[in-house]
Amino acid sequence: MRISKLSLAVLALVISASAAQAQTNNASITATATVQTPINVIGAQALNFGNVFPGVNKTVAATDLTNAGRFDVTGQASAPVTLSFTLPATLSSGANTMPIDTYTGIHADNAAQTGGTAFNPVTGASPTLSATGGLFVWVGARVVPATNQAQGVYTANVTMTVVY
Amino acid sequence: MRLLTWLVIGVALCGATLPPVLGAQGKPLNVTGVRGVTFGPVFPGVPRVISRTDPANAGQFDMSHTKFNPIQLTFTLPSVMVGPAGATMPLFFGANDAGYSSPETITSQVGFDPRVPFTTALDKNGRAAVFIGGRAQPAPSQRAGAYTATITLTVTVLP
Repeated sequence: MRISKLSLAVLALVISASAAQAQTNNASITATATVQTPINVIGAQALNFGNVFPGVNKTVAATDLTNAGRFDVTGQASAPVTLSFTLPATLSSGANTMPIDTYTGIHADNAAQTGGTAFNPVTGASPTLSATGGLFVWVGARVVPATNQAQGVYTANVTMTVVY
Repeated sequence: MRLLTWLVIGVALCGATLPPVLGAQGKPLNVTGVRGVTFGPVFPGVPRVISRTDPANAGQFDMSHTKFNPIQLTFTLPSVMVGPAGATMPLFFGANDAGYSSPETITSQVGFDPRVPFTTALDKNGRAAVFIGGRAQPAPSQRAGAYTATITLTVTVLP
């Protein structure tokens, strides 16, 4: 009889211990991402107005493969991108300035501009990189020299920003 | 009688060595990782957010145990994802990036902060699902390639 009571007591203790023991379990999952190729932009060719005469406007068309400014872009194949520009309103030569009143643009997936798409650099564009991840962008503009425009070499920076 | 005593003690000791996931009623606590958090294609410099209600990309865990049991959910969250050549990409979890669902549906969740333990109770079915989202923050110069990290959910049945 005493043994039976001891047995029950041991059982009760163990059951109590089991019931009071905190139970835990865990599982894991994986977070995954695939980072695409970073964008790279090169200023490949300057926008070149050449010789300009006082009082005579000079235009370089975006289709002018020799004189239009050109940016070369590489990135993730077939990815859409957004182009935006910082466009100077004037060219400068020391303290002298010469206005630029118009900009034009073309983007294409090849350097020959075949199948290119015209756009307004002032508002930007949203092209798609080619199947090999390339994009070419040309910028043209018109300068408006005054009749008394001072002689000299005039320059300014055109900046293009590309983001996915 | 002495044999009986040793038998009882032996059975008791065996019981004491059972895995702690067995409850007093003998019903196991099960936790299963059902689906990972999928950020998919990510562009350098462009953050990518996955909502806990995104049926295709949110992470999901399922769990089951005795009905009405109070439980505590604790995440072990990575701060980065690891990619090619050991490159890392920051990973963030916000105050509303996890969700608890008694009916086990992604459209019916109670949001909670995965960064701190969350206490709740299983319903009459003894089952629930937990969903989790997050934000990947690639740098503008983030190295291209596949990145991964492990998210662990620990469930504790409270006494």
